[in-house]
Amino acid sequence: MDVQGKRIIITGGVRGIGRAIVEALIAKDAFVTVFDINAAGLAELRETHPTVNCIECDVSNYDQVTEAATRYHAEYHAANVLINNAGILFSAPLVRITPSGIEKHDLAMWNRTLATNLSSVFYMTASIVEKMITTRTKGVIVNISSISSFGNVGQSAYSAAKAAVNALTVTWSKELSPMGIRVVGVAPGFTDTESTKQALNESILTETIKKVPLRRLGKPEEIAHGVIWAIENDFFNGKILSLDGGLVL
Amino acid sequence: MNATVNEIIASSLHLPLTMVEDKLTMAEVETWDSLQHMDLIASFEQALGIEFTFEEIVSMRSVAEIKRVLKDKGMEI
Repeated sequence: MDVQGKRIIITGGVRGIGRAIVEALIAKDAFVTVFDINAAGLAELRETHPTVNCIECDVSNYDQVTEAATRYHAEYHAANVLINNAGILFSAPLVRITPSGIEKHDLAMWNRTLATNLSSVFYMTASIVEKMITTRTKGVIVNISSISSFGNVGQSAYSAAKAAVNALTVTWSKELSPMGIRVVGVAPGFTDTESTKQALNESILTETIKKVPLRRLGKPEEIAHGVIWAIENDFFNGKILSLDGGLVL
Repeated sequence: MNATVNEIIASSLHLPLTMVEDKLTMAEVETWDSLQHMDLIASFEQALGIEFTFEEIVSMRSVAEIKRVLKDKGMEI
């Protein structure tokens, strides 16, 4: 599928990898709509890229997603492509030994991490695919996964959410392919974004980079390139494209 | 064409060809669930080079209804 002129929705397109994907799609003349919770970021995005359609939405909230998708469909018809990119990077082990004893993984952050990285994918895909099928619109769902889906020390919630996203990718590809909808995943490794720098302190980041065979972080533009390839290659389906510089966790 | 329609249904739903009669409905066939229905639709679209509307897909819940929709689309049954 050529992305030019296609109606493409991306969640979490204001910053980081999402922003790089948005800019790569704009360069290819796609009609891009960004669903994002960050109102100030959407305003900046709209000012920088006036052709981008912006919808403020907390994609971890089912009611907000349903309402936003209804508004989108009323104005723009069914989408051709949905990119489930929104997420939060949260690092914490199952238990942490402290000077005063032992602490369990924070329950609120477990729930929030799963809601933002996993439930949002379910909410968005159900709403967008429903319209694609009733209008017989063929297209692609791209789920942004992570190298952490294989299980990353210190990332219980994030790893679990991303592993589940991979499982949904395979499941939905089998369910939706007969209707002309491909479902694919793109799994970045450690990427040079603000959220990576916030989640990992400098010494951990330095050690992580040493483990990457290419000895560097991925660039957001390289992940965006992979996403566009996944959309454009009509035989890529039900698989996760790893973009991690060769790193094995 | 009639044989072809029956063959497509039998193949997609994993039924013996002799079981595929006009009166056969989705409710009577264990393997004819909503997922298999989409596979059946895709089989017809690919074999006949046509595309059904969503309303047609929803209505095709028996062999007779499938044949009616195909006739309405100009197929010789």
